[in-house]
Amino acid sequence: MNFRLVFLIMLPHSLSPGSFTILTLAVISSFLIFLRHDPEEEGIEFWMFAKNHYVMYEEEFEKARDPQVNGDLIAYGAMERRLLSGVLSDTPVPDLVEVQLTMASRFFSGPIDAVGFTDLRPLLEAEGLDKRINPASFSPWTREGRIFGLPHDMHPVMLGYRADIVEAAGIDVNDIETWEDFVRILTPLMRDFDGDGTMDRYLLDLWETDYFGIEMLLLQAGGWYFDITGAPAMNSDINIKVLATMVHWTTGPSRIGVNVPRFDAEGNRMRLEGGVIFQFMPDWYAGVMQQDVPGLAGKMKMMPLPAWEPGGRRTSCTGGTMLSIPKRAAHPEAAWEFAKKLYLGTEVAEKLYKEAMIVSPVIDNWDEDFYDEPIAYYSGQPVGRFYLDLANDIPQRVPSAFMVMAQQAMINAFIRTRREAQQAGVHEVEDILSLARAELDTAQTLIENKMRRNTFLNPMEDQP
Amino acid sequence: MMSMKFIERSSQVMAYVLLTVCACITLVPFIWLGFAALRNPEVYFDFQFIPRVRHVQMMEAPENPELRKVWAQVLPSEGMEISAATELVGADVVNQARNEHLIEYRNGKVAWDMMSLQYFKRLLAGNEFPFARSFLNSVFYASVTAVFATLFCAMGGYALAKFEFKCRTLFTRIVLMALVIPGSLLLAPGYQLLFKLGLLDSYWGLILPGLAPAFGVFLFRQSMLNAVPTELMESARIDGCGEIRLFFEMILPMVRPMLGAFLLITFLGCWNNFIGPQIVLQTPSKFPLAVAIAQLKGIYSTEYGLLMAGTILSIAPVMALFLLLQKEFISGLTSGAVKG
Repeated sequence: MNFRLVFLIMLPHSLSPGSFTILTLAVISSFLIFLRHDPEEEGIEFWMFAKNHYVMYEEEFEKARDPQVNGDLIAYGAMERRLLSGVLSDTPVPDLVEVQLTMASRFFSGPIDAVGFTDLRPLLEAEGLDKRINPASFSPWTREGRIFGLPHDMHPVMLGYRADIVEAAGIDVNDIETWEDFVRILTPLMRDFDGDGTMDRYLLDLWETDYFGIEMLLLQAGGWYFDITGAPAMNSDINIKVLATMVHWTTGPSRIGVNVPRFDAEGNRMRLEGGVIFQFMPDWYAGVMQQDVPGLAGKMKMMPLPAWEPGGRRTSCTGGTMLSIPKRAAHPEAAWEFAKKLYLGTEVAEKLYKEAMIVSPVIDNWDEDFYDEPIAYYSGQPVGRFYLDLANDIPQRVPSAFMVMAQQAMINAFIRTRREAQQAGVHEVEDILSLARAELDTAQTLIENKMRRNTFLNPMEDQP
Repeated sequence: MMSMKFIERSSQVMAYVLLTVCACITLVPFIWLGFAALRNPEVYFDFQFIPRVRHVQMMEAPENPELRKVWAQVLPSEGMEISAATELVGADVVNQARNEHLIEYRNGKVAWDMMSLQYFKRLLAGNEFPFARSFLNSVFYASVTAVFATLFCAMGGYALAKFEFKCRTLFTRIVLMALVIPGSLLLAPGYQLLFKLGLLDSYWGLILPGLAPAFGVFLFRQSMLNAVPTELMESARIDGCGEIRLFFEMILPMVRPMLGAFLLITFLGCWNNFIGPQIVLQTPSKFPLAVAIAQLKGIYSTEYGLLMAGTILSIAPVMALFLLLQKEFISGLTSGAVKG
């Protein structure tokens, strides 16, 4: 008896009904997969991690011919690993890839020539595109004068607030110019509804573990983790003052901040129930709010950030995405042409705003009428125009491979300073300054040591 | 004697009560998942489980006497449905009164109109989410891997248990050592290897690495040692039975419970595998359900209802399969537990 016959005859005897079911599934599904025709993908390979971007670009992908463009939506973590593998160990890379700010920092850790993305500066300058895009938007993607990506956005920041609560109290937010005004005028809105001695409604979504809020305040004040040369500047005077103020706002009798997590059901519930009145609202988050908390439609409004000093900057920025061409891309010229078409055109800018509330960094697009349309969710305010009015004040950011580490060090400093302030019973900014300075000195030393140990940047023979 | 019986019965009842409580606790996340997939977006975060009709009720000690006067005229003492209150005084007044904590919402009967199958319809419609394609991918990947892995593990285990050959002990030790290496450690070298073999972004790139897991080979080795008498094999050989026929006709039926159990374990493992397909596959049309559903979670925003409905759709088939096959799964795991 030959083997095949034996196998077929004995199969029902050897297998239980369950095993037989799985075997049957294997045979049928193999047959269906074999019959299914997945067309060979040719043309430009485009990776992205944000689903809303993918949806917005789909039409452009379909329109693109000669070469065609294949957009692949890949989960953030998977894309980061694949892209790192691609640039470090020659596994496949796409022709175009959208890289988020935190992810991008990991690609900048080696020597400048080893960064896996094409330097776009010569192309941008040759075509005059560097003048058509908001300069601040280039800053996170620029290292040692080389520009490694076309900016997707600017992400100016405003304060989104519960207009129904603020206006019911007869408060006009136009009276608020500085953070000092903010605290003075709005603190009466905080409430302890159940009388248990703990506030149930706070003014601001700011907490020691929320690096979004921390970074926005640092940048607005003119501080940042690194100076213009890329050297760590954790313990700069501005950072110390901002940290002390944040601790002042999150501890003791002067507390106005509360932890309201983003992208989180619990946080959204707090927003809905009025647990917080004012939120930091970068343009992209203004879009997220509409989708995640539809119950606040018509109750929200926007205002510029209060300045640190009278006449000071009324905005900040956070996050960001660039469109890059890996050095090993198979079709770099075609990728560049498509990148320009996608990012500089009005059509995608309009979709980007209408779908996600993200305003374009391309200066030519700023006069478009769609930015003036009233947004029902934000009580009919032309939110796009508000953001664009702040675009020229957006602070610049210095990129670094050590950004994630610096973020963590800043959060640690915040947590420790807050704890020490509580233990010492000090709540005023002036009293907290010395505590903040000590913690930020520690953070500075930590980042300096980490950077010194980077053998790519400091050869072994130069190490202490 | 009576008291012994009573104690025995009481402890049995206690055990059942305890197990029932534990079973209920285990079910809570599934119930939550079910309601989360059914709640409409506008009330999504308002309720933990079932959406309820909301009543407006007056609170004590309001601060704003004017509003209190309005509400005192409008509200009956037992409260009224929020929709009726909104109709009477307008949404703005209701919102303002709630913000001022002059009124409070109380939950009433179940609000069936706040639940719908909209997320399931959207997922199954195929416009937003390629359910049919991902489902087929999952079935293919899980069933093919499970079938081949079971076959190869049985073969490997049989060889290690019943054949005398050079370095058999060494091979058994290598299998044992492979058991202690965490799978996540193999991700990076595995990725590199698949790239060198040209298997990235292919079904084979997923299936091949799982074809002969050390756990399975060792499990079958132990099972063969216990369940397959060497004398029986020798008798079969004397009667002229070939090695392949011997394996399929005699050996496999003798470890049939283990075959079923391992097949199901591997199937479930592959169905739920997320990190492997996410790293190896790049083309969305090849994504299994686990990875395709993860794409519903955006970095900037997430439609939780859609994600929950997707999770239900992804676990439902495998749960049904498990419920159907649980008897043989358990008998497979316990076979050999009692030595005869």
